Amino acid sequence: MTVRDLARKLGLGVIPFALAVVTSTVIILALGANPIEAFGNVIGGAYESWAKVADIAMAMVPLLLASAGMLITFAAGLWNIGVEGQMLAGALMTTWLVESIEGPAAVMLPLSVLAGVAGGALWGVLIGLLRVYGGVNEIFAGLGMNFVGSALTNYLIFGPWKPERGATMSGTDPFPLEVWMPMIGHTRASWLALLLAIVAIAVVFIILRDTQWGLVLKAIGLNPVAANRMGVNTNRHLMLALMACGALAGLGGSLQTTAIYHRLIPQITGGNGYLAQLVVLLSGLRAQWVPLVVLFFASVQVGSPRLELRMQLDSSLGGVLQGSVVLFYLLVNGVRQRLGARNR
Amino acid sequence: MRGRGAAKILVGLLLVALLLSGCGTSGGSGEEFVFGVVLVGPYNDHGWSEAHYRAAEYAVEKLGNARFVYLDKVNAADRPNTTLEQVIDDMVNEGATMILTTSDDFAADTDVVAAKYPDIPFVHISGDHAKTGAAPANIANFMGRMEYGKAIAGCAAALKTQTGAIGYVGPLINSETRRLASAAYLGARYCYDTYRSSDAQDLRFVVNWIGFWFNIPGVTLDPTDVSGDLINSGVDVLISGIDTTEAIVVAGQRADRGEQVWAIPYDFEDACSVKPEVCLGTPYFNWGPSYVRLIERARKGEQDGQLEWEAPYWKDINDSERSLVGFVEGDALTQEERDTLHQYIADLASGKAKLFVGPLNYQDGSSFLADGAEATDDEIWNLPQLLEGMEGASN
Amino acid sequence: MRIQIERISKTFGNVRANVDVSLTIEEGTIHGVLGENGAGKTTLMKILSGYLQPDSGEILIDGHPVSLDSPADAIVHGIGMLHQDPLDVPALSVLDNFSLGLHKGFWHSKRRLRHQFYTLCRRFGVRLQPDERLSNLTVGERQQLELVRLLASGVRVIILDEPTTGISEQQKQVLFETLRRLSEEGMSVVFVSHKLDDVDALCSSASVLRSGRHVGEMSAPFDRDRLVELMFGRAVSAPVHPCSCGTRIALEARGLVVTSRLLELEPIDLSVCEGEVIGLAGLEGSGQRLLMEVCAGIRKPKAGKLLLDGKDVTHAGYRELQAFGVAYVPASRMEEGLVRGLSIREHFALGAHERHLMVDWDSAETKARAQIERFSVVGTPDTRVEELSGGNQQRALLSLLPDDLRLLMLDHPTRGLDLGSEIWVWEQLHERCRRGTVILFTSTDLDELVDNSDRLLVFSGGQVSNPVASAEVTREELGYMIGGVNL
Repeated sequence: MTVRDLARKLGLGVIPFALAVVTSTVIILALGANPIEAFGNVIGGAYESWAKVADIAMAMVPLLLASAGMLITFAAGLWNIGVEGQMLAGALMTTWLVESIEGPAAVMLPLSVLAGVAGGALWGVLIGLLRVYGGVNEIFAGLGMNFVGSALTNYLIFGPWKPERGATMSGTDPFPLEVWMPMIGHTRASWLALLLAIVAIAVVFIILRDTQWGLVLKAIGLNPVAANRMGVNTNRHLMLALMACGALAGLGGSLQTTAIYHRLIPQITGGNGYLAQLVVLLSGLRAQWVPLVVLFFASVQVGSPRLELRMQLDSSLGGVLQGSVVLFYLLVNGVRQRLGARNR
Repeated sequence: MRGRGAAKILVGLLLVALLLSGCGTSGGSGEEFVFGVVLVGPYNDHGWSEAHYRAAEYAVEKLGNARFVYLDKVNAADRPNTTLEQVIDDMVNEGATMILTTSDDFAADTDVVAAKYPDIPFVHISGDHAKTGAAPANIANFMGRMEYGKAIAGCAAALKTQTGAIGYVGPLINSETRRLASAAYLGARYCYDTYRSSDAQDLRFVVNWIGFWFNIPGVTLDPTDVSGDLINSGVDVLISGIDTTEAIVVAGQRADRGEQVWAIPYDFEDACSVKPEVCLGTPYFNWGPSYVRLIERARKGEQDGQLEWEAPYWKDINDSERSLVGFVEGDALTQEERDTLHQYIADLASGKAKLFVGPLNYQDGSSFLADGAEATDDEIWNLPQLLEGMEGASN
Repeated sequence: MRIQIERISKTFGNVRANVDVSLTIEEGTIHGVLGENGAGKTTLMKILSGYLQPDSGEILIDGHPVSLDSPADAIVHGIGMLHQDPLDVPALSVLDNFSLGLHKGFWHSKRRLRHQFYTLCRRFGVRLQPDERLSNLTVGERQQLELVRLLASGVRVIILDEPTTGISEQQKQVLFETLRRLSEEGMSVVFVSHKLDDVDALCSSASVLRSGRHVGEMSAPFDRDRLVELMFGRAVSAPVHPCSCGTRIALEARGLVVTSRLLELEPIDLSVCEGEVIGLAGLEGSGQRLLMEVCAGIRKPKAGKLLLDGKDVTHAGYRELQAFGVAYVPASRMEEGLVRGLSIREHFALGAHERHLMVDWDSAETKARAQIERFSVVGTPDTRVEELSGGNQQRALLSLLPDDLRLLMLDHPTRGLDLGSEIWVWEQLHERCRRGTVILFTSTDLDELVDNSDRLLVFSGGQVSNPVASAEVTREELGYMIGGVNL
């Protein structure tokens, strides 16, 4: 890579970020607040203590897993908007396990992980069936399944799994301690959850770069007809891709219940399934950039509530920052490609 | 050209970063007392959460040298990635040395966080873990005897109704909400019987639950729809049991179209201002004086892990310096109805009119209280079902 | 309008696409631009039509230097280009497509457009139904629509890049007739092609490009041998097909009924022996491709039997047949054959099919290098396939085929290739025949069909002829048969 290439790549990352900061600054000024104080609060709110760093780490877990899954489906040319539902399915399966059996942590923790993986994978397969055999575009199949998942979650929380003292939005009763992912010291961070997420993204990176399957997915994503002519069973691999993505996303949902909320709540995914789409877009579909992007998203997420505590600004400003970075990235990328095309 | 532009941006970013690192913390004066208030809904909801927000402001004014930090909309729908623990961590970082968590829904999480901060007194409104023993010692529970407010509301509704059908827009189902809906029913039955000389058997009292304290699109039923459906089914007075104002808004719209309907909102003293013409009154919480007392007690280190259940100040339930539970009379009441209502309040105060007194059956027909028997506080607090004569789900 | 191109140069990375090219196009002429694949014809035309800007040199219109910064700019100056792939919207009607890009305002009067459309069509002898959906049009008709649209926008110089690729003989004649009318009306036509016959039939003058340089100029009547020498830098002659038929029957169709949504062919009975080449002749869309797809297992026959080496493979799927040594090379290389975005090395790794977890990049690299060398592909293992020129894409596609095949089917194997590449491709294919592979191929080029096949099947109007020995049929007779005349 030449220095010029490097500069161009850096520009691709820095310019959108700078534009997003400018946009947020304008909005904050329009609200009559001090932008420097606001950004200071976000950064301070995110990194002032080890407890905060632990929060960021935990906010990264579901996002990393969902993004890792999406990388696989994106490679295969699928816009798997159903990640949200796959996370839900993982969380539901884990909760079902917890509601049905009891056991020591050594049994329950591995089982809870397996349940999450299985639930998400199953959900992915359902979307795959709709897409491959039902001829339903995966975007619509995924969206539909998201609604089904969310309705099912609400039904279970307000019905069969409601706490003894009455059903509530706050979710089920807390899980028994045996199904709590082990924590690091007195922080809220679970080393096991973090480890699983890091392993997942690393494995996806290797799959996409070096495995025969990764290459097959890439070929399907770029040209399914030609891949088929070359002897690739495209349908099977599309199913497998959705299943693998579902497994990872399901694990993410499962960890939301066992490592973060310690129960099932209605919005258990925390919108991470949708956020993952932005992460993957912003990382340019490259696994090696995903952790960095996830770190940024998680930092903003953990840091921005302080905007409200200190400045009475709505913390959704953090969301504006996240969203505008993605938009500006796509914009800068588009402009760059257009300029590139002109010079060719 | 392009290179220089990029360099400028980089320098600019560095400058911003330097400035940011310079302004980390803000200095605070030594003795200022900081308390944190966690709200489940928006601080300006004209309902439950706003009542708490106003109380915190009141307390700061009364106490002097005190300040509060708050975070509103702390619920899974509005802040999907925020746990109560994170919120309270932030508040403690901001210097809070006392925390009030103001929703029944925070019960389990408050237990966990309070255990993490054993030196900080917590007040959880409106749970009972301090009483059941589920909570650590630094949690106290607090609640007002709103069943009286609800009974007055039920009475006002019974005095007004033309169709003989009263609708209750309920939140989620638990012992607190069953208790309050039942109290409204008992008040309505008493007044229908006593003052309108009608047979209480003819009074319909319909409870529809939306599923949470306020509307969450896609998760709860829409309280606007629920209110409209109740009116369509023949109800002409809506009593709201939820944190927000949909019932009176819908009643106002229907009244504008010429229908004869009324509403009784809840929680917040000014709630009638949404649509005064249809408002029969508001049972409300006046948390301010209680906040002052609770905070002063905590400040002195005298908080004990008890459930406190405070009655209205019967000499004047609307005394803003004394009474936790009050009832504002609405513009839609006639003078005659007001007089009758005053009579009922006086009877409640004197003990002449009692709420949970036999004979009473549960909704499923099983016996609750024998003739003349009065319920204990525990029985009222933990009411397991709605009462016989009420329509709607008990569980 | 007289166009002068003066000392134009254009470089992409290390590739010098145009070097000091100068040529002149006189008003009212049809000027051919000849050259083999990758000679720099398309680059030069993109510069002339404003899609690319030259590194140096200039363009003069009627003696005045102009700067063409965009295609729109070029059209304002009266220069328009007809693309190899028409840029249109298949879901819209012909008239809507006509009005797209033409009309600047917000409102448009359908009546006026329709009138304008009819006038232009009549004037240039184009037959198009304005309300037909574009997706129902053939490539040739879409080309005509594009042409009419350019004329409506007022251009005086029309550039056509390989316009005869992918259209039928009849459509070609219609196109040539239209172009002649244009030149009679004083417009200039720049006709880019690698097909000597077309240039010979149409053009009044021609320039030849080779390796980015302008190497010669000639006026009609052309000396074809000289043109070939200019194009390739040497004389080229086609080898004669050595008949290599064995005696064993390799492929057999019994009462095979091939259908698509639009077409049902009469039952086909056919026995093909080892090493035989069968040419499938006919207008495009007469069912040649359907037959190949059935033999490849991509499409299911409605009835009948298909036997490969005596084994019933009627119901075998594509991948199963692949395992038996059946391969199908589609006509649209970049749509069905190669994966845009993947490198040559990745294509070889993908084709490895081995049940390995990890990609064996080393062996893919070795194989890619060897095949690149063997098939003279201009590229490296790192080159992405879309960066290859058309001829090299076809070479890459052929290099990906396994060595030992029983049945090889090719849809238009030499479409878009220059003469040198075409000859090379057939050398490769005949080499396979000698090793016993059966070859089925389609072409619209009668010479290619007659020269290269042992027997011919002629598809016409849902009928399939009995196999005809190609040695016993003349081009004229074949032309009649394709046109549906029974001989």
